[in-house]
Amino acid sequence: MTIFWFSLKRSFSNTTNLIFLTLFPVGAIFLPMGEVWPFLPYGYQFFGIIVLFVGIRLATIILEDRAKGVVKRLAVAPVTHFQYLTQNLLAFSIILILQSIIVIYGGVLYGHELYHPEWLLVLFISFSFTSLAVALAWISLYRSKETSFLVYMSVIFLIVFLGGLLMPIEAFPDILQRIAVIFPTYWLSEGIVWIVFGNDISEFLLINGVLWLYTIIFLVIGSVRRIN
Amino acid sequence: MKTGLDANFFINGWRFLNIILLIHLWIIGDSNAGNFILILLLLLLASLRWRLSLPAWSVLFDLFFCLLYIPYTNISHYGLALPLFELVLKGKWLYSVLLFLSSIILLSSSDFIFWHLLQAMLFGAFSYFTLKNQHVQLERLDALRKSEYELERLKTDLLKANQSTSQQARLLERNRISRQLHDHLGHDLTGASLAIQAYEHMEDQQKAEQLLEEVKKRIQRSTIHLRETVHNMSSTVMTGAERMEEIINDFHQFDTSFKKYGDTFSVPAYIWSLLESCLKECLTNTARHSNATKTDIDLQVTDALVRLSIQDNGTKQNKKTQFEGSGLRSLQLRTRALDGSLSISNEDGFLVVCVIPLQEGVDRD
Amino acid sequence: MRVISTMKFTFFRMVREYITLLLLLVVPIVLLTVFSFVLEGVTTETGEPLINEQNVIFVLVFQMFGGALAMAYIHTDFFTERKQRIYALPFNQTLYAFSIMVCGIVYSVLLGIVLMTFSEFVFGADWGNWLWAIYIIFLLALLSNIVCLIFTFSVNNFKIAERLSEVYGVGFVILAGLIFPVPGNDFFVFVNTYVNPITLAADAIYGMNQSHAGEAWFRSNILLIASGVLFIVMLILGKRKIR
Repeated sequence: MTIFWFSLKRSFSNTTNLIFLTLFPVGAIFLPMGEVWPFLPYGYQFFGIIVLFVGIRLATIILEDRAKGVVKRLAVAPVTHFQYLTQNLLAFSIILILQSIIVIYGGVLYGHELYHPEWLLVLFISFSFTSLAVALAWISLYRSKETSFLVYMSVIFLIVFLGGLLMPIEAFPDILQRIAVIFPTYWLSEGIVWIVFGNDISEFLLINGVLWLYTIIFLVIGSVRRIN
Repeated sequence: MKTGLDANFFINGWRFLNIILLIHLWIIGDSNAGNFILILLLLLLASLRWRLSLPAWSVLFDLFFCLLYIPYTNISHYGLALPLFELVLKGKWLYSVLLFLSSIILLSSSDFIFWHLLQAMLFGAFSYFTLKNQHVQLERLDALRKSEYELERLKTDLLKANQSTSQQARLLERNRISRQLHDHLGHDLTGASLAIQAYEHMEDQQKAEQLLEEVKKRIQRSTIHLRETVHNMSSTVMTGAERMEEIINDFHQFDTSFKKYGDTFSVPAYIWSLLESCLKECLTNTARHSNATKTDIDLQVTDALVRLSIQDNGTKQNKKTQFEGSGLRSLQLRTRALDGSLSISNEDGFLVVCVIPLQEGVDRD
Repeated sequence: MRVISTMKFTFFRMVREYITLLLLLVVPIVLLTVFSFVLEGVTTETGEPLINEQNVIFVLVFQMFGGALAMAYIHTDFFTERKQRIYALPFNQTLYAFSIMVCGIVYSVLLGIVLMTFSEFVFGADWGNWLWAIYIIFLLALLSNIVCLIFTFSVNNFKIAERLSEVYGVGFVILAGLIFPVPGNDFFVFVNTYVNPITLAADAIYGMNQSHAGEAWFRSNILLIASGVLFIVMLILGKRKIR
C-alpha cells in the first residue's frame, strides 16, 4: 500500500490542491438556500461541480506521473500497472468520500434541511467515483496537465449545465431534455430530486446503479496505460 | 518504421459508432431513461472488448441484455447487431447465421433492422478476414525482418573477416620478404663482410686476391638477388592514391580536382579498397542523378585517420534517391565495420565525407 | 523603436496558441449556442428576451480572463531562463513588457469583437452602440490585463499568481450572481454597483442601450479610473522586477 499512502500525501502537498480539497467543500456548506429552485441549498446542488473539479485535480496527478516518466519506470518496477492505478484511485476516492462526509455532516450541524442526509451521502459517494472515472478517461486523451485541466473546465460547465445541475431540466427545450440523460450529471440531479421528493427506494438504487455503470465504463476506457 | 492503421481501430470505431446509433435512436425514439441503461450496458461491453480480448461466449451477455429489453424497447433489436458482429468477428459462422435468421424470423421487425443486421454481419466478416490477413502479414514481416538482420550480421562478419584476412596477408608477405632477404642476401652479404675482414689480415698476396674475387662474386650475386626480390615484391597493378588518381582521370563527364595530403603509404590496403569504392560510387551518383559540373575530391591522411571528402556543386539533388540508395548505405555499413563514419549532406551541392581511423600499431609499422 | 518590430511576433505567438483560442473563442461560442438554445423564448420582466442580457454578460465574463495570455508571456520572457536572452537584446525591456501587454489587450478585444459579432448576427443579441460596446470590452480587457500583471509582479510563485487571476475572474462572476443569486444585503449591492467590473461593464452597456448615457459614462469611468490607479500600482511593482 506504499503507493496508496504516497498518493494520499501527495494530493495534499500542493497548495492549490489543498484549497480545492478543503476550502471549497467547507465553503459549500455555507451557501444559502434558493427560493424556488434548487430544492437543496446551493452548496449541495453545486457540490457535484466541486466533485468534478476535485476529480480532475486528483487525476492529473496520474497525468503528471506519465509526463515525468514515472509510469515508464513503474513498468520495470515490481508493481503492476493495475496495482498502481487501483491504489491511486483508492487514495483519491478516500479523499472524495471524506469531503462528502464533511459536507453532509457539516450541513446537518449547520441546520440545513437535507431531507435524507444518509442517502445524499450515498449519492455523493457514487457520483465521486463517477467523477474520478470520467477524469481518468479524460486525462488518457492528453499529454499536458494544463491543457487537460483547462479544456475539462469548459467540458464540466457544459455537462453540468446540460445535465440540469445549474438550471432545472424542465426549463429546457424537449430535445435537450432527452439529450441530458446521456450525461452522468443528469443522474446526480435526478438523485437530488429523489432525495427531496422520492419515496420508492428502488428508483434511488437505479440512479446509483447507473452512476456506477458510468464509473465502470469510464474506468475501463481510462485504464489504458499510455507512456509518453 | 512507419506502421499503417491497425484494423482494430476500425473494428472499435464500428462498435462505438453503433453505440452512437443506438443513442441517436433512443433520443429520437422513446427516450425512456430506463431503456438508456441498455445502451450503457452495451457500451460497457464494447469498451471492455476495446481494452481486453473477451472470449467468444461473452456475446451471451450482449444477447442476454438485448433479449431482456426486447419487450420494452425497439432499440434492443438494433442492439442485436453488436453480438452478431462479435460472433462473425470470431469466425463463429454457424451461430451467427442462426442468430441472424432467428432474429429476423422471430422478431418480425422492420426492414431496416434486416439491413442493419446484414451490414453488421458483412462488416464483421470483412473485419475477420482483415484481421486474419493482418496476422499472416505480420508473421511474414517478422520472418523477413529476422532474415534481414541475419544478413546484416553476416555482412558485418564478412567485412571484419576481410579486414583480418588482409592483415594476415600482410604479415605473411612480410615474413616471406624477410625470409627471402635473410636466405639469399643475408647469407651472401655476411659471407662477403667476413671475407673482407679476413682480407685485411691476410698476408699471402695470392690468397688475398682469391678472397677479394670471392667477395666480388658474393656481392654481385646478392645484387642480383636484391633486384629479383624487389622485382618480385612490387605489384604490377596500381594501388593506393595512384589508383584513385587513375579513377578520377578516367572520369570525363565533369571537371574533377584531386588533392591529397599526408603520408598515403601508411594507409593499409583494405582501407584503400573502401575509399576506392566510395569514390566510384560518389562519382557515378553525381553523374547519374545530379546536374553538377565540378567535383572536388580531397584526401587527407594524418597519423590517426584518413578523411576522404567528395563535394560537387549540383543543385537539383533528389533527396530520396540519394539518401536511400543502397550503394551509399552499404558503404556506410562498411565504414562502420572499420569503426569509421560516412556522412552525407546535400545542403550545398552534395557532400560525402568518409572518415576512417588508422589503428596504431596494428597496421602502420 | 525596435520593440515595435517584435510586436508582430508577440501577436503571432498569441494567435498560434490554440488552447487559448479554444478557451476564449470556441468555448464561449459553444456556450452561447447552448444558452441561446435553452433560453429561446424566455423573456425578462420588462419583456426583453433573456438571451440579450445573457449574451452580453457572457462575452464580458470571458474578457475577465483575457489577461492570462499577457501574464503567461511576461512570465516566460522575464521570469524564466529566457530572461537572460531578453536582457541581452538591444531594446528597452520595459517597453517590450508594455508591448506584450498591449498585444494581450488587442488580442482579447479582438476575440471579444468576434464573439460580439457572432452573438449579434447568429442569435440576434442587441448590443446597442457597437463603438460603445467595444470601448467597454476594451476597458474590461485593460483592467483584466493590469490586474493579472499585478499578480505576476507581486506574487513570487507564478502558479499562485495564475490561481489568483482565476479567483479574480471567477470571484467576480460569483459576486455578480451569475451562478446563483447572491443575498440582497447592502454589501453585495454596493459591490455590484460600484466595484464588480462585470456588473459595471454590463450596466454601462445596458445604460447606453436604454439611453441613460450619464449613468453609463459614470460606470465606464469607474472602470477607467480603476484601470488608471491600478496601472500606476502595476508600474511601481513592475519597476522592481523589470529593469
